[in-house]
Amino acid sequence: MPAEPAAFKVADLSLAEFGRNEIRLAEHEMPGLMAMREEYAKAQPLRGARITGSLHMTVQTAVLIETLTALGAQVRWASCNIFSTQDHAAAAVAVGPYGTPQDPAGIPVFAWKGETLPEYWWCTQQALTWPGESGPNMLLDDGGDATLLVHKGAEYEEAGAVPSAADDDPEEWQVVLSVLRDSLTADPRRWTAAAAAIRGVTEETTTGVHRLYEMATAGTLRFPAINVNDSVTKSKFDNKYGCRHSLVDGINRATDVLIGGKVAVVCGYGDVGKGCAESLRGQGARVIITEIDPICALQAAMDGFQVSRLEDVVGSADIFVSATGNFHIITAAHMSGMKHQAIVGNIGHFDNEIDMAGLARLPGIRRVTIKPQVDEWVFADGHAVIVLSEGRLLNLGNATGHPSFVMSNSFTNQVIAQIELYTRAADYSLGVHVLPKHLDEKVARLHLDALGVRLTTLTKRQADYIGVPVDGPYKSDHYRY
Amino acid sequence: MSRAARVPAGTAPPGMASDVSDPGLADGGRPRIAWARRAMPVLAMVADAAAAEQPFAGLAVAACLHVTAETAGLVSLLTDGGGRVYLAASNPLSTQDDIAAALAARPGVTVFARSGVDRDTYYEHIHRALDCAPDLVVDDGCDLVNTLHGQRPELLAGVRGGCESTTTGVARLRRMAADGILAFPMVAADASATRRMFDNFCGTGQSAIDGIIRATNTLLAGKVVVVAGYGPCGRGIADRACGLGARVIVTEVDPVRALDAIMRGFQVLPMAAAAPLGEVFVTATGSRDVISAAHMTSMRDGAILANAGHFDVEVDVRGLAETAVEIRPGVRPHADEYVLADGRRLILLADGRVVNLVAGEGNPADVMDISFAVQALVLAWLAEGAHGLSAGVHGVPAAIDARVARLALASQDAEIDVLTAAQQDYLDSWRQGS
Repeated sequence: MPAEPAAFKVADLSLAEFGRNEIRLAEHEMPGLMAMREEYAKAQPLRGARITGSLHMTVQTAVLIETLTALGAQVRWASCNIFSTQDHAAAAVAVGPYGTPQDPAGIPVFAWKGETLPEYWWCTQQALTWPGESGPNMLLDDGGDATLLVHKGAEYEEAGAVPSAADDDPEEWQVVLSVLRDSLTADPRRWTAAAAAIRGVTEETTTGVHRLYEMATAGTLRFPAINVNDSVTKSKFDNKYGCRHSLVDGINRATDVLIGGKVAVVCGYGDVGKGCAESLRGQGARVIITEIDPICALQAAMDGFQVSRLEDVVGSADIFVSATGNFHIITAAHMSGMKHQAIVGNIGHFDNEIDMAGLARLPGIRRVTIKPQVDEWVFADGHAVIVLSEGRLLNLGNATGHPSFVMSNSFTNQVIAQIELYTRAADYSLGVHVLPKHLDEKVARLHLDALGVRLTTLTKRQADYIGVPVDGPYKSDHYRY
Repeated sequence: MSRAARVPAGTAPPGMASDVSDPGLADGGRPRIAWARRAMPVLAMVADAAAAEQPFAGLAVAACLHVTAETAGLVSLLTDGGGRVYLAASNPLSTQDDIAAALAARPGVTVFARSGVDRDTYYEHIHRALDCAPDLVVDDGCDLVNTLHGQRPELLAGVRGGCESTTTGVARLRRMAADGILAFPMVAADASATRRMFDNFCGTGQSAIDGIIRATNTLLAGKVVVVAGYGPCGRGIADRACGLGARVIVTEVDPVRALDAIMRGFQVLPMAAAAPLGEVFVTATGSRDVISAAHMTSMRDGAILANAGHFDVEVDVRGLAETAVEIRPGVRPHADEYVLADGRRLILLADGRVVNLVAGEGNPADVMDISFAVQALVLAWLAEGAHGLSAGVHGVPAAIDARVARLALASQDAEIDVLTAAQQDYLDSWRQGS
């Protein structure tokens, strides 16, 4: 890897005009982000911020990126998934609003659709490498890969060695170890210095947040974190309504299968699972839920869904979607027992929900690529299953992820979180924090006008009656919506 | 009562006494009729026209209908339009006695209806209504028309025609017509588009579930509800049960309807496979023995059985009574507990009779508004005579359906588009293509 980072790397700069047009349309659908630009244009609260972003490089993310820069930040960006980049969005971000493909004047972005794993981690490193600096002073993460690289890098530097890969380590982990091994050789203080300069990380997704809480509990977290996922205006909207929209979008674009009349299994009935179940039911599928949590399971039953064990329905369902945040939910044995041409997909953040490695190791198994991100896996007996996006999140791999309006909710939270952590770092102890409720409510307010919502105002007496300020916050922290 | 004691055919004595449970209940019935009228603006508009035009002047109308507050609206319209109405109940349990009393007190209306009559009295009441020697008949289930043809043939020649409200009744009429028996034109009021979409789907869908809940107070969320029949009523019941969080399984004999249920995300099973799974069963088929004694013996302890079809043959109540070792009637109003040999208990609602009318209040006024408006316009059309209608079953003229729909839209201040002349030409022409 060269000592000086590359300026940017995208698939095709000539896609920039298409990307710029879609970014412009998305801005109209992202009132929260546009309101942030207007509110903070003068104050420039992120001046001096060096933000490394590891987040799906989509049209919506482009609007987030350009909001951060509008508030004064410098950014370097990579995607957080090998299939989720929209190449025209990446090109537009590299070219910038005022550049041209011949003379790009955008930001350093390292992302393209269809990266290999080594390429993916190269991109992530590029985004973390700031010329003339020890690294970023802020992280904006989705799934925690950037956070992971910094933490593991520093950990191995302190130990003086990078552990060897075990034979059964996932391929991705082997790549990470190899990257860190090279880095240790090149500069044994690189990550330690980088970690010291980072004021904090704002984390987007359930899985990434889970990693942060684990580190905080273990005492290994090196800088404060804001858990953006658990803003109500993120997880109760993005996770649920975003997936409700984009799950069937991904299945449609991948397979064009008729969903009405089919039996679909959704593994997991959290916010994402709830959105997925509604998505499939809304198109006329009969949805069966699997769950390990009795509360979520009871919710599913009361919502009218059959709740079964996967083993009991694996031979009779037509569509399987994993949405658990856990691993090996759908195994090779499950897939062997499925109907011919059953469709298998994952909408959780990481690709270990479906045991793709186990599938690939089955004797006599054969992979037939139907089209990008759609593979038929043919078993020895001749029957097959269709796997979407190699088990990676199918709404981003087979479609374009969540639509702009709901991402405006999430990303407005991200911008607020970045401002909080960057400008008021002293107020955030080492640990994982959530944004205060009045900011959560602010994000919701910014999205009401676009939907024609007329909000009722409490009278002073009513506000006093329930013990809240007239302007909110209106709910206690333990309220669950 | 012997036939000889009955009033001779062709005469309708003035002041023929009504037979209701308690005339004193009229004071309670009147406000309920007024309440229903508030939700029946379409019928009110048709009634205004009838009062002005007097289409039923001098005519006797024999009606066999559920005596409810909504039906009172139709009866009033007929008398306002100049007619005399002789009303019998179309179900032994569905009469609302306060409504019957309130109607009986009105000039021009004679009522023969009490809640909870036996079979003999039920048919006696139909005969009393027929004693008026009707010019028009309004039926619900075909018991009146059947009795008219079978036992009062001397009255047939005087009947200009009539309409039938319910799917089951229309099916009987079609069979009568196929056998060459039906002596006058009958309009199948159940088969109109407005009837299917609103009365059957929305009305029965809501009120059947309402009846079940009023009878049992059971939580439907998370329960397996088996709906037998996926016609317009079954679809409505399935939809509303889902809306309350139930998991619905559909049973069907018609492959097209079964496929419709599957495409909408319902599991479809044979009743024998559904019987051990269901916690609530609702029949809406128009058929008989849809839930048989054999099915019932495989049901879960505490399973609830209800029927939303017109007649009480859909659930084999006799078979259940024979299979049970003990019957505990009235564990709740309209709910009887049948105990099987191994101690499992099945709860039968409304004696297997139409649950929405017996345990609930029947279809809401808002949909009966549309159904009765269609019937009123059909009866006025029949009263005009001529039209060249043959004896047999006829559809509701599309113009009547459309007119009622327009009136319903107007009552909601809903506006729709009007075809331009060019569009109308395009739709009328086959010449315009690629």
